[in-house]
Amino acid sequence: MARAMTVTIYVPAALRAYSGGASELFLPAQSVRALLEQIERSHPALHRCVCDETGAVRRHINLFVNSSHVRDLQGLDTALVPGDVLTILPAVSGGSACRTE
Amino acid sequence: MPDRVVMCIGTKKGLFVAEAPKSRGKFALRGPFGSGVAVYASLIDTRGKPRLYASSCNPFFGMKILRSTDLGKTFKETKSAPAFPQEDGRALANIWSLEAGDSKNDLWCGVEPASLFRSKDGGDSWEMVEGINNHDHARKWQPGNGGLCLHTILREGDRVHLGISTGGHYLSEDGGRNFSASNQGVGAGFAPDPYPEFGQCVHKIAGHKDAPGRLYMQNHGGWAEWDGPGGPRPDIGVLRSDDHGHSWRSIARGLPSDFGFPIVVHPHDADTVYVVPLEPMTRTCPGGAPAVWRSENGGSSWGRLVRGLPKKESFFTVLRDAMDIDELKSPALYFGTTTGQIWIGREGGEKWDCLFDSLPPINCVKVAVV
Repeated sequence: MARAMTVTIYVPAALRAYSGGASELFLPAQSVRALLEQIERSHPALHRCVCDETGAVRRHINLFVNSSHVRDLQGLDTALVPGDVLTILPAVSGGSACRTE
Repeated sequence: MPDRVVMCIGTKKGLFVAEAPKSRGKFALRGPFGSGVAVYASLIDTRGKPRLYASSCNPFFGMKILRSTDLGKTFKETKSAPAFPQEDGRALANIWSLEAGDSKNDLWCGVEPASLFRSKDGGDSWEMVEGINNHDHARKWQPGNGGLCLHTILREGDRVHLGISTGGHYLSEDGGRNFSASNQGVGAGFAPDPYPEFGQCVHKIAGHKDAPGRLYMQNHGGWAEWDGPGGPRPDIGVLRSDDHGHSWRSIARGLPSDFGFPIVVHPHDADTVYVVPLEPMTRTCPGGAPAVWRSENGGSSWGRLVRGLPKKESFFTVLRDAMDIDELKSPALYFGTTTGQIWIGREGGEKWDCLFDSLPPINCVKVAVV
């Protein structure tokens, strides 16, 4: 598919083992939700790193459309147009994220 | 002929593997594997060619299971990790236990939120065990400080014992199809009813292959001084069953505290059992002086094992899966601490040495002779 028709997904280094080593993927979609569904079909292991089994985006994952966090747009219903860039970023977290006892 | 001792050390920052000849003179350390990601469960599967498994519990990208077929020189992710069906509504938060099943590739896995999964292909695919995951009680269990975790899977023939914090002890007598709460005599300190049907904060359960029906439990103790509804609950923390877990009785008398996490049985003597008592409020070594306590008569009396351990100023915690014992003729006990130390207690815990003293905080320790 011509790139002019697709959205670019930026894959962070920590997840490239699940994208065949690619730092960018190019998929057609008209919303963030539809794009995640496309990722689930084309790269299921990558999708499992971004979303849990209920389909929710993992708590410590941030998704940006161009320079805006999807939570400041329309969440998973945020519309996409060809040429948009979806960036997957792990949240910046300090301290312990897991409990131990 | 087994000639090496292998130890898996699950830490807050990945998995380490230590290996030594049977003399246990010097352990070589490899790792970390799954670097930077917490490991809460590991398994050294000695059925056939040894395989090592570890959970890799990534708070960012989800849970993975690592597998090694070269004794922990390299690890690869299995093809999948346990996952709830989408319609279930629950999402995997952690992997707390990995145990070998019957056939060579059969594995059991306990997770958070408290549920059980089973793999028939060495961890590449998993199916939910409906009998516990959809048990009538499952949506009523509450998380403890470590989350709502299924941390113990103990099998004896068709019996499957599960330890859930906080759910209690659940028993299946039909190979894992159906489970019942089996907590008669197991106290709870954080509810008005001291002996509820379920909801206890079981910390660990251990058994012995030569003593069918005998089980030991480290429960959440530390409620002797409770003066609220239901009254004090002394000695509910360390228990024993002699009827396959249908009923339990206290064996805590004589310990400095009935609070602790791990409980381990001697591989050649079902009457010898080890615990690590902790102060219930701080969950650290009483008085800053760590000690492993041993009973050699099934819990009727206890003795303190401290030779070689620090005598003061040590305030670590030993977590529920952070103590194990090897199966050599004169077995050695091993424990890992939240301060990143691995201790070995040679001669069944008589003499202690620190093997590693600056690892990341340790969640689990598993040992096998391979």
